[in-house]
Amino acid sequence: MAQDSEWEPKLVGFLCRWCSYAGADLAGTSRKKYPANIGIIKVPCSGRVDPLFILKALRLGFDGVLVSGCHPGECHYQTGNYRARRKIALTKKFLEYMGIDPRRLQASWISASEGGKFTEVTTQVTKELKEAGPNELFADDK
Amino acid sequence: MTNREAEQRLRDEAKSLLESAKVDYIVGFADGSLKFHTTPLITRNKDDVDHLVINPFMASNLAKFLTELEGRVGIVAKGCDSRSIVSLVQDNKVSREKVVIVGIPCRGMINLSKIEQLAGKESDEIDDITRQGDKVVVKLDGSEKEIPVKEVLFDHCLACELPTPKEYDLLIDEPIPATPDEEASQAKINKLEELSHHERWRFWQNEFSRCIRCYACRNVCPACYCQRCFVEEAEPQWILSIPKWQDNLIFQIIRNIHLAGRCTDCGECERACPVNIPLRSLSKEMYDLVGELFGFKSGMEIDAAPLLTHYELEEAEDFFR
Ligand code: SF4
Ligand code: SF4
Ligand code: FES
Repeated sequence: MAQDSEWEPKLVGFLCRWCSYAGADLAGTSRKKYPANIGIIKVPCSGRVDPLFILKALRLGFDGVLVSGCHPGECHYQTGNYRARRKIALTKKFLEYMGIDPRRLQASWISASEGGKFTEVTTQVTKELKEAGPNELFADDK
Repeated sequence: MTNREAEQRLRDEAKSLLESAKVDYIVGFADGSLKFHTTPLITRNKDDVDHLVINPFMASNLAKFLTELEGRVGIVAKGCDSRSIVSLVQDNKVSREKVVIVGIPCRGMINLSKIEQLAGKESDEIDDITRQGDKVVVKLDGSEKEIPVKEVLFDHCLACELPTPKEYDLLIDEPIPATPDEEASQAKINKLEELSHHERWRFWQNEFSRCIRCYACRNVCPACYCQRCFVEEAEPQWILSIPKWQDNLIFQIIRNIHLAGRCTDCGECERACPVNIPLRSLSKEMYDLVGELFGFKSGMEIDAAPLLTHYELEEAEDFFR
């Protein structure tokens, strides 16, 4: 895939407000450097993330999606992240079967105190998306 | 039991269900107006039951009607149909007490298009098609042609795991054991899996460029019972209502995700599609993923919790950082 070295991937993060969103906030307030490639959308729980959000983001041209919630056992609503896990796992596998690079859908568990983990995850995901190249899945043929 | 005897027993049972007022409706199959086709028969009239048939052309999944009919229904069900019924019961869409499942052990349904292809003739030019054990005999222009049955059954029938309903109230004939031939059934999917991501996406792009968004696939699917489908939502409008391939693909991807743990591989979506998109190559993949990841098989165990309402403490962790 042709791409210049300037190209930077754009990524949407659906972050649970009780944990990963607060983790991202912590990364910011503790002045940790995380890639500016991520645009964050706050969701009430990882269980709120509808696979439709993921497809819509890819359809809009984002290069990847990160879904992040509370660690297993720590969901504010007890079971939201367990349910999210089933949905996301199926979505990821199915999208791969359709022909979507699995690197474009990523998921993590990041708690409110894990500012460092948030930095690591976003850095790693950004790197992988850079390798995957621009998302041209929904582009009309030129 | 010969087929004729089975048919007679079915008619007798259906009649007595109506007469004894155990059910308000009988839902089954009758001969269609086209040769080798059947049509759903839905009736409250006991004289109509003499039109009920049992033959290898009753491919429709009648479970669809259960979410549309009020009252108690006696329904003719092959193995796959019974799984759809069980799945609807699990989803609280149908109450088990309101259905009388009249089970029909099934040897697989004949895919007319496959016969037409092998015979090189349209079905209305064929004189007769009969099943004799492992062969199908096609009468054509005064001669007979024998075809191994595996070559003309629907792909999903080749993989059938439940030819005889497990959940039933009456069983019309002797149970038939399952002899799934995954390899034959999976041929198209295996080929797709050999392609690169890019090639696979191009394949689907190409297929869904033909989609006219008639929604036949959704409307025929017993598991697609939402009052309002996400495709019809206006705020936000998730996808355009005009059939652009991008949105056609999103429609179908999301449909399949919604069907995870509820699709029973009945094959109806593929059969309904007017532009012959290989929809089963999507639904069967999801069916298999559900099995691989969570050991779940739709519509098999009536007491099982629906897939997406349930979870195990430890599963599918390798997808998460
Ligand atoms: S039945 Fe075929 S053409 Fe109609 S909406 Fe479904 S995929 Fe598209
Ligand atoms: S998705 Fe297709 S194969 Fe699955 S239950 Fe619905 S109609 Fe049947
Ligand atoms: S509240 Fe954070 S994942 Fe449910």
